[in-house]
Amino acid sequence: MSVGHVARALEEAGIPTVTVMVKAFQHRAEQMLFPRTLLTRFPMGRPLGAPNDRERQSDVVTTALAMLQAVEEAGAIQHYPHRYRVSAP
Amino acid sequence: MGDGHETFEQFRMSFSYGSRNDLNFKFLKSLPDDESAEFFRLLLDALGDAYDTGGLDRLFDVAIDAQIAGYAPKPGDQPPRFLFEDGPCAPLTKPLGESRIGMLTTTGHFMDGDDPAPLGSRGMTQQEAIDNISDLLRAAPVLSEIPADADKADLRVRHGGYDVSSAEIDPNVCFPCDVLIDLRGQGTIGSVAATHFSFPGATSQGRLRKEVASWVERIKQEQVDAMLLVPV
Repeated sequence: MSVGHVARALEEAGIPTVTVMVKAFQHRAEQMLFPRTLLTRFPMGRPLGAPNDRERQSDVVTTALAMLQAVEEAGAIQHYPHRYRVSAP
Repeated sequence: MGDGHETFEQFRMSFSYGSRNDLNFKFLKSLPDDESAEFFRLLLDALGDAYDTGGLDRLFDVAIDAQIAGYAPKPGDQPPRFLFEDGPCAPLTKPLGESRIGMLTTTGHFMDGDDPAPLGSRGMTQQEAIDNISDLLRAAPVLSEIPADADKADLRVRHGGYDVSSAEIDPNVCFPCDVLIDLRGQGTIGSVAATHFSFPGATSQGRLRKEVASWVERIKQEQVDAMLLVPV
């Protein structure tokens, strides 16, 4: 997974990173020991939420950024608890 | 298919760069016949439920569960090419609300007029990227720079590895340019980097690793306190 190489190089340069990806890629985060990862149970290509669902997108990014403060050792994986979309009914 | 009959295996494989190519469901290539058959049964069952209830939750759950199963490592797979026992983890040195946040995605976004021209082809279409995926996976990546205050009408996306239809409607599904501006307005973060970065993750991993050091030097110029990374 391309972003794993980028994350590693940034961290080595002293720039902390957090990665948001769909849960389907969890094994990549584990194999490459991503520093901080938030996994979403969303469809591929929409790791932050559905189009124009700004509330969900914002909550996903906020949850991810909070890991920057909370995590100090590489390999942290957090599961975003909410659904891709709130559908009616 | 020499005798005109298509096997179930050929059918499910056709969703991955085949006659029925659909990047949302290319995982069927890696989902064994019995699991793929069960996926279709559950999908139709959930659709039947949706007729009655109008609720889509189960339909999405069935599809996302199958996607997860499709991508999961399988017995007999080749060992992962990159396996790390330990890794660096730089601390955030100031509160998030005072931090400058930058973003890099593997979504294949770029600005109109600044086409990274993969394979030397300026103006390559999404369909052409899909058709050329094998060559793209062997090519060196080009890092595109996108001003954080860019007009979204000038934002383009092209990537031969995933369905970009949602990203075309709203980049924030995978390239959260507006989300970061919102979070700055709310005080969740201190500021947003002047430039965001993107490249199509479907690229040569070896060539990528050679590029990364220069990318880091470029990102450092943004004086970010942390980077948000979004792969697709």
